[in-house]
Amino acid sequence: MNAPEARPSLLLIDDEERILRSLAVLFRSQYRLHITTDPQAALTTIAREPVHVVVSDQRMPLMSGADLLREVRRVSPNTMRILLTGYSELDAIVASVNEGEIFRYVNKPWMAAELRSTVEQASRIAIQMFAASPPAVDGRTPELASPDNAAILVIDDDPAVFSAVKDIVGYTQRVHHAQSLEQAFMLLEREPIGVIISELMVGRESLTAALKMLKSQHPEVVTIVMTPFRDTAVLVGLINQGQVYRILPKPLRAGPLGMNIASALRQHRLLSTSPVLRQRHVVEQISAPEELSVANRMMSFLGRLRGRATVRS
Amino acid sequence: MLLIQPAPAANAASGLAALLREVAPINPETSVEDAAEKMLEPKHAGLLCLPVVLGNRAVGVVSRQHFNSIFLQRFGRDLWGRRPVADLMNRQPLLVDIDQSLEAAAQFVSTRMGSPISEDFVLMRDGKYLGMGLVLDILAAMQSRVSQGARKLEDAYRQLKVSQSALVQNEKMASLGQMVAGVAHEINTPLGYVRNNVEMLQDMFGQMRDVLAQYSILGSMLADENSFDEADLTRQLQQASAAGRDLQQGGVLEDAPTLFEDTLFGVDSIKELAINLRDFSRLDGARLADVNVNDCLDQTLTITNNVLKGRVEIIKRYGDVPLVNASPSQFNQVLLNILTNAVQAIDHDKGKLLLKTEFDEQWVHVSIVDNGKGIAAENLKKIFDPFFTTKPVGQGTGLGLSISYQIVRAHGGNIQVGSVPGRGTRFLISLPRTSSNRATGLEAAA
Repeated sequence: MNAPEARPSLLLIDDEERILRSLAVLFRSQYRLHITTDPQAALTTIAREPVHVVVSDQRMPLMSGADLLREVRRVSPNTMRILLTGYSELDAIVASVNEGEIFRYVNKPWMAAELRSTVEQASRIAIQMFAASPPAVDGRTPELASPDNAAILVIDDDPAVFSAVKDIVGYTQRVHHAQSLEQAFMLLEREPIGVIISELMVGRESLTAALKMLKSQHPEVVTIVMTPFRDTAVLVGLINQGQVYRILPKPLRAGPLGMNIASALRQHRLLSTSPVLRQRHVVEQISAPEELSVANRMMSFLGRLRGRATVRS
Repeated sequence: MLLIQPAPAANAASGLAALLREVAPINPETSVEDAAEKMLEPKHAGLLCLPVVLGNRAVGVVSRQHFNSIFLQRFGRDLWGRRPVADLMNRQPLLVDIDQSLEAAAQFVSTRMGSPISEDFVLMRDGKYLGMGLVLDILAAMQSRVSQGARKLEDAYRQLKVSQSALVQNEKMASLGQMVAGVAHEINTPLGYVRNNVEMLQDMFGQMRDVLAQYSILGSMLADENSFDEADLTRQLQQASAAGRDLQQGGVLEDAPTLFEDTLFGVDSIKELAINLRDFSRLDGARLADVNVNDCLDQTLTITNNVLKGRVEIIKRYGDVPLVNASPSQFNQVLLNILTNAVQAIDHDKGKLLLKTEFDEQWVHVSIVDNGKGIAAENLKKIFDPFFTTKPVGQGTGLGLSISYQIVRAHGGNIQVGSVPGRGTRFLISLPRTSSNRATGLEAAA
């Protein structure tokens, strides 16, 4: 058995004690556990000592899980954040991505083995993060603020979105426009894309599988999804299998979009320079069969992309 | 959507113009005898009177009744026959401008016409004589217009009913959505730990079977004296205790009793939720009877006795209330819910519960007042929403008051709630004394 200090620490929070008891039995042989029903107590613990992984319920009387994880991110950015929730509310999903930058969104009831491996993966990444202690995960380090040559790719059949993005970034960054999946593939192959701003549908084709696939192959590419689409299951898939960086609503608002593009570019720079941080964006395997076919279509393209990336680095 | 269209002005004018009958007027100087001859002409058969016109202005009308009064007199014809009709005529005829609306004209005519109806009305434009209009015609025109209006109203009413039921349907769908969210959460939470516990217990069960298998081999080795081999036996003993150690180290064994308890609790929570859901959706199967609300209160108090006993002082102020037509089981459910909530709201040892019944001409009122912690204003307005609860997870489904509200509404009654945080809460249930609203009420809730 491991010595207690060698084990990674895991904080579990839920307002239902039976959930906590059940999870405690599942995890206690491998982790140093902190168990609480009180969000404030959770934050105190996280501020006091390194906690590698937090698994939080969403619906709690004193504070929502999304709010708690946002605070966790502020207090301890290296802590990996997992939301465990009984019902997918759209607002909670969007907040947990945009503000909490969560690692996984897990639905109740969960599969014990899956949750165990998700937490294990998260803790492995967190241990590296804490060890490497990379500079400011929220990206406010000044030396990284200078523009580089990473371009932005807008995938949207509405030209207005493309020109809005162009207006926002001005001449500091190159912006490319794709109105179909094929165009997007071509541009990704040709141009050094760092940030993708994408709809979830172009023409009549869904982009979710492509976005997930891309992230699995190229964790340094940062994805902003901008869509009026409001399907909770799709968005949860984009978190777990696509590690989407932001989910923004449509019609687009220039102010928030501008801020998010800026932070996405910073994030891309961080990811490009820090292999440890890239780990953080590791994604789940795609499981849906209809998405697998799109994924296969991407394989040859990605092979070439990978080849090019190797040459560059 | 089509509602009542206002008739264009041109339509109204043509309405009155349609009534115009061209009648050659007589001169004021025309003799009574000649005028009477004219009145008898077949083309004037429908007319009650003839217009008397000077220049182009109607100066009067002379009616059949005028002629009757003369010719039925002895020597009437001799006395009046030669005199000008001007001496006889009504100098204040009903003058109607043809350009005004049918409604205005009809109103004017009907307020001015005498009884029995002896004269028609003169139609004119800008004071110039145009012809005559029949009182009967204008009444018939008005009647058709009214019935047309009634038809339009009926259509509009039907439209309103349709959109109302669409609204109700929308409302139902909205609360259904809310309900589904609540149900999903309420089911998935216990399901979360139930599933996890069962999975862990299943793994543990596998390990237990291994342990059992190892020990039973050991047992049979010990029982069989012939094949006694110390080395084998030692090895088997080691394997068995290793399997036992694995089981111990899995960490599930010591917690198994708690995990089983929690699992059963979770399954029961889900069961309870299913029952609540059934009650929530099925408000029909209940039979109505004439019941005394005082009896209902007492029955409910008996059921809740174990909760109330020693904790809360019950003050009854029952009035001599008339019966109400209600489903006793449903109404008891309402009372049970409110009483349980009231008791749970009392967080001190000087708890009091005031149960008061009274009545007025229409309603029987039941008021339940507690001196508990009260309800915050922002929660008060959500109190009847499905799945709204302030209780910890697992202790309240948030359906109770919402079901109560449905039940009382289905009985044509009402629930009101007032609360002062820190002082207490008062629920007022009002049920109608008569059974007049009953049927519609139940339909609306179904």
